Amino acid sequence: MTPRLLRPDQPLRLVDTYPPSAAARQAIIRVEDLSIVFDAPSGQVIAVDRVSLAVAQGEFVSIVGPSGCGKSTLLNAMAGLERPFGGQVLMAGEAMRKPRPEIGMVFQQPHLFPWKSVRRNIAHGPRALGKPKAEALRIADGLIEMIGLTRFASAYPHTLSGGMQQRVAIARALANQPSVLLMDEPFGALDAQTRAVMQDNLLELRERINATIVFVTHDIDEAILLSDRVLIMSAGPGRILRDLQVSLPRPRSSAIVAEAAYLALKRDCLDLIRSEGRRAFEQMEIKT
Amino acid sequence: MSVGRRSSATERLSVLVAVLSVPAFTGMWELVARSGIVNTVLFPPPSTVAVAVLEWIRSGQFFADLMASLARVAAGFAIGAAGGIVLGILTGRFRLVSSLLSPLFHILRPIPPIAFVPIVILWFGLSETGKLFLVVWGVFFTVWLATHIGVQKVDHGLIRAAQMLGTPQSQMLWEIVLLGALPYITVGLRTAVSISFYTLVAAELAGAFAGIVYRIEIAQQNMQTGQVMGGLAALGLLSFVADRSFAILAERAVWWR
Repeated sequence: MTPRLLRPDQPLRLVDTYPPSAAARQAIIRVEDLSIVFDAPSGQVIAVDRVSLAVAQGEFVSIVGPSGCGKSTLLNAMAGLERPFGGQVLMAGEAMRKPRPEIGMVFQQPHLFPWKSVRRNIAHGPRALGKPKAEALRIADGLIEMIGLTRFASAYPHTLSGGMQQRVAIARALANQPSVLLMDEPFGALDAQTRAVMQDNLLELRERINATIVFVTHDIDEAILLSDRVLIMSAGPGRILRDLQVSLPRPRSSAIVAEAAYLALKRDCLDLIRSEGRRAFEQMEIKT
Repeated sequence: MSVGRRSSATERLSVLVAVLSVPAFTGMWELVARSGIVNTVLFPPPSTVAVAVLEWIRSGQFFADLMASLARVAAGFAIGAAGGIVLGILTGRFRLVSSLLSPLFHILRPIPPIAFVPIVILWFGLSETGKLFLVVWGVFFTVWLATHIGVQKVDHGLIRAAQMLGTPQSQMLWEIVLLGALPYITVGLRTAVSISFYTLVAAELAGAFAGIVYRIEIAQQNMQTGQVMGGLAALGLLSFVADRSFAILAERAVWWR
């Protein structure tokens, strides 16, 4: 049973403002015409509808959209955790069919192994990849220092605060030295203050690692603050509406939110999301 | 503050009552048995039971019986639990293995192990193998079900996180899934400790040459009611100690809590 919206005779609709520029040619991530369909009790639901995008090496790209717009599904497909219904995800030219250790992921929940100390949680990846124990622990110790949790190296996850746990989760993902780091609303479960600190930490961290980062969030401020580009997604079915370049100078800090360029960009985003939200809402009303 | 004092006074009183509970009950029993209201041959006083138990220990038979029973329970528990955990992990994790084995296990599981005594005697006679079989049977299904359910309840996020870090399949099963399900498995193992003692009773009643339940049966045939009650007390104490030690062990097994 092919869903109605996936008729092959329909013209392909790529991201409208996407520039097929130099960035696209040296893209490390390529999502090509990706569709993902879920089986639901009411029939099949299109979570991601023919999305194409490219992320250049070293770029920080955020995907913003209302909840349920398929942004997490899109990210899971990039991680190899979700099978495409149509199209494909290419990471460094290779199709993603299952998770690969050079693609790291940080989830909304830390998902730390509760039976392992902070140090061993971080060392898990290198160990799983067959590195000797001493080397894995050395990598872990370096990362623990970077996230400022040296005092808690031998603590178990449940004794840490939510923000600390998420820092450990980020360090654990970095331990395999991934070329791409995927982050699925990593600060979504944290309180406002912790969240602001974590954002600043991530900005600093980014200067020190050279991973390409794809960051999913529903918070526009967060997206603009952190990213080089913001992709705005629409809901039902999930599509990319707009691809916005964030040309604010780096290094940035949360002080940026008072600048005029920032505010103009934010207003653009909000207008787009508001009109899109209204459309999606009305569509939902008509359906029901 | 007065509330705090009152509650601590209540607490002290309940500790006192708890300490006196068993001596008071034993004293009542002694009085009733000696008052002549009941037949002391059928209902001996605790003093008679104590004498019988002392004689049992002095003769050296107690130690032999204890070892025989403990060996059956320990071996049956170890084999049944190991099998239950391994198969529980496999049926919990792999749909196909579950489709193959779960229907069979669900049919066999509700049959009380004691009901197998007649067929076990036909199969194994009065050998130790038959007794081991009964205990293993009782333990296996309990542990298998607890593990199977536990594996399915393992936080899916942990598995995804492990996948993203490149965890190989064998480490996924025997570390992430096993430890993720461990809180459930220990509950199953603890239930299985009691079950192993139930099945021990059936196994020894079916015919044995040593063992605590065997001794109870022999004493009953000789009308040594003091020895029967002593045997029951010993079995109760043994089972209690096993359960408590396992509870302590289980708390340590889930070491990260």
